[in-house]
Amino acid sequence: MQIILPDRSVRTLSRASAPIEEILLELGINPTTVIVIMNGRIVPEDVTATEGDELRIVRFSHGG
Amino acid sequence: MTSAENRCSFCGKPAVARLTGPERRLCAAHFIEDAEARVFAAMKDECMVAPGDRVAVGLSGGKDSTALLLLLHPILPTLGATLVAVTVDEGIAGYREETLKAAEALTAELGVEHVIVTFADLFGKDLDRLLVGREAQGCTVCGVLRRRALAEGVKRVGATKLATGHNLDDEAQSVLMNVLRGDLPRLRQDTSTGQPGHFVPRIKPLAVLSEKEIVTYLLLRGYFRDLPECPYAGTALRSEVRTMLAGLEHRHPGTMLRIIRFRDGVRRSARSVEPVKALSTCRRCGELTSGEVCQVCRLLGQGG
Ligand SMILES: [Zn+2]
Ligand SMILES: [Zn+2]
Repeated sequence: MQIILPDRSVRTLSRASAPIEEILLELGINPTTVIVIMNGRIVPEDVTATEGDELRIVRFSHGG
Repeated sequence: MTSAENRCSFCGKPAVARLTGPERRLCAAHFIEDAEARVFAAMKDECMVAPGDRVAVGLSGGKDSTALLLLLHPILPTLGATLVAVTVDEGIAGYREETLKAAEALTAELGVEHVIVTFADLFGKDLDRLLVGREAQGCTVCGVLRRRALAEGVKRVGATKLATGHNLDDEAQSVLMNVLRGDLPRLRQDTSTGQPGHFVPRIKPLAVLSEKEIVTYLLLRGYFRDLPECPYAGTALRSEVRTMLAGLEHRHPGTMLRIIRFRDGVRRSARSVEPVKALSTCRRCGELTSGEVCQVCRLLGQGG
């Protein structure tokens, strides 16, 4: 699966499947500070991403 | 949970969010409905708006105030109230231009009356110039001056209420910051009642929605924009508290709401025990202050 990080860099994860929350925590991202768009649609983080999915992580919590 | 199992609790369409208290999964349409219903319920419960009110929305053009205007625009007429947007232009190069443009585009699209007040006009200089030599205090200085500028804008448009876009995260952070600073008077200070002749009552309709819910709402309604961040990076304490609270909210969902309930409990029980310290008026500008000269006049160096 492909992950587009908040800084727009792209990471490829070679895993068959994983809950989005687990992926975020592995990346050091607190799920309450981002929104995840999977294949173009906002999803809750308890959804499992599988091979071929594209995850875009939108960060919004930087204050102000 | 697989994608196929992730369904709206009400209509079975793909869910965009999972919320607790009560536990529910919501599709895009039901999420929007749910968020709006919670805001309107809070407005009713706390009697935020009365018939005849002219409500000024403090519109920075950022995400929270954008959501606030979108939410209030259809509902205020049904409550017999009218809406006007007030934007404070602090004069922050590389930041304010774009958010100001966003604010103007939104009010034009919705057909909402819009007034802009500038630091240059009110205080003689824009923020960037006021801060030369003390950039590190940027947010503190700006916070004090922006509050005054907003109050001035409210007076100019003849509003009876000021609505600001503070969300649940902001409010919970402020409570914790006041606790960490040992500032009980500030924790108790309730701006929702106002001060006749000085401040109109201040309402915070979005305080029931988390920052994440607000951004989800904006994304779903097509109003989320990646705007520049303010170069004055906020206070160190707030950013520590934000990180800490985000961690707690993730591990213990509902933490932020419980902090707000705690604050409200403190306010209720303290109110009956001891009156809030009386305020006097600034001998320079005549606004309310706890000392002889108000914070604004001290910051502008006219305090002597
Ligand atoms: Zn639904
Ligand atoms: Zn003063």
